[in-house]
Amino acid sequence: MNHVIDVQGLTKDYGQGRGIFDLTFQVERGEVFGFLGPNGAGKTTTIRHLMGFIRPTAGQAAILGMDCFAQAATIQAHVGYLPGELSLMDDLTGDGFLRFMAQMRGMTDLSAVGELKELFRLDGRQSLRKMSKGTRQKVGLVCAFMARPDLLLLDEPTSGLDPLMQNRFVELLLREKARGATILLSSHMFEELERTCDRVAILRAGRLAAVERTEDLRRARTKRYVFSFPAPEAAAAFSAAWPGASRNDSSVTVALTGREDLSKLLRLAADQQVTDMTVDGGSLEEAFLGYYGEED
Amino acid sequence: MISLPLFRREARRSILLLVIFAGILALYASVILTMYDPELGDSLAMMKDAMPELFAAFGMSDPGSTLTEFLANYLYGFLFLVLPLVLLILLTNRLVVGYLDRGTMAWLLSTPTPRWKIAATQALFQVVCGVLTVVYAGGLCAILSAAMYPGELAATPFFRLNLTLAALLCLLGSLCFLGACALPDSRRGLALGGGLCVVFILLQMLAQSGEKWEWLQYLTPLTAFDSAALASGGGSLWPALGLAGGAAILYAAGIWVFTRRDLCL
Repeated sequence: MNHVIDVQGLTKDYGQGRGIFDLTFQVERGEVFGFLGPNGAGKTTTIRHLMGFIRPTAGQAAILGMDCFAQAATIQAHVGYLPGELSLMDDLTGDGFLRFMAQMRGMTDLSAVGELKELFRLDGRQSLRKMSKGTRQKVGLVCAFMARPDLLLLDEPTSGLDPLMQNRFVELLLREKARGATILLSSHMFEELERTCDRVAILRAGRLAAVERTEDLRRARTKRYVFSFPAPEAAAAFSAAWPGASRNDSSVTVALTGREDLSKLLRLAADQQVTDMTVDGGSLEEAFLGYYGEED
Repeated sequence: MISLPLFRREARRSILLLVIFAGILALYASVILTMYDPELGDSLAMMKDAMPELFAAFGMSDPGSTLTEFLANYLYGFLFLVLPLVLLILLTNRLVVGYLDRGTMAWLLSTPTPRWKIAATQALFQVVCGVLTVVYAGGLCAILSAAMYPGELAATPFFRLNLTLAALLCLLGSLCFLGACALPDSRRGLALGGGLCVVFILLQMLAQSGEKWEWLQYLTPLTAFDSAALASGGGSLWPALGLAGGAAILYAAGIWVFTRRDLCL
């Protein structure tokens, strides 16, 4: 009963291959767990089960040892939730919405609300209807975090946020983790998850392709380094020294996985008076080709 | 039993709608009341003689000789039924369909409030609005009558008339509520529940319009609301009890289904 989230053989069959099939995974206390997969892979459907919105066709989902559907209300006292499909109560202002949600949660300590609004530079006086996508997302985030919950379920939390606010969000996540909160978040971009997650579950077409430690994924990941040299001769000498390098005039491209020796590569490039270098992190498709197989 | 913050929110959000309906009801009540002539026998009666079927269809077959019968005929027979029904349909749309359709129900369910409690709150709010509408409309008629025709309104029959109307409205409201809760597509559910209410009204109009269609009265719960009999001091309160009981069952069923269904939020 140590798992905060325990999902066993969870299946929801919507027909025509849509849904989620036989998902099994656990999330431990204090862990940051990522859900990675393209749109329609079943990330949101899984989170809906955890929230008790829908009942599984087969299998079960439990949070803190309680059934996610039958004991949803009891579970919610410990959970902060951010929906992926963000629709707010448009008749309210940002502050009015947060106040209402705090009342619904029976919260008396509202100190976190002010701190969170400060962190995200959120002006809550505006009507929700008139807010931009990013501002609405901030309202949703404040709402999810304001009760300082034990478990956070965040469906695509950074969508709509600008890079600065995305950094603020990562800060917040790490702080919550340090406080001891367990966090599950979903995304379709590995970069977003790799900064925060201890482990990442990769979903594909409703099935769990893998659950890996983020560290291992990073190591298995291929990055492309493009070096520019002052002359084609220097480029040729460099590419000759590194098997697998491909040369195009005076620039050379080398694909490197995290396990290979970067310092050796850089030393070789420096020997040929390298003038410029760019790094391409590679797309999700490349990074997880092994897990994803053929795209459908 | 209910969630107070949610109830307060719905109250705040619906005030404008309720005020608008209060205005419309006041308008009809005062216009119809000024048309009452204690001596009777003039314009309305002449119109009724000219086209009895049409008047009968709208439940205005017998203008009656007392003020209470007059009100039962011209207000409680149709207007005080249809206008509150429109309000109840609009409320169901706000209280249930809107939350499910737009996905804002996810927020309510992300709080430690059980589903049954959310549904019960919305049901209770709808009932309170329905009953308040009758209390308001009845009270308004009583006050206007006392001012314009002192001593003409028979208190007990008039009270029983309003009581039965309130019970009937609860039943119609519960149909809308159950439809919205039970169908996978909440909007269609409300259309079905609200549509059924409209069909009931049409059936009653048809049944009243001629002997050929009289048997249709057994297909609509509106028959239980015999406004003419109640106004003239007859009728019983058993139908009111039956209507209220039916409403309680349908509301309970709506809450029950809502608690168990899949919600695509």
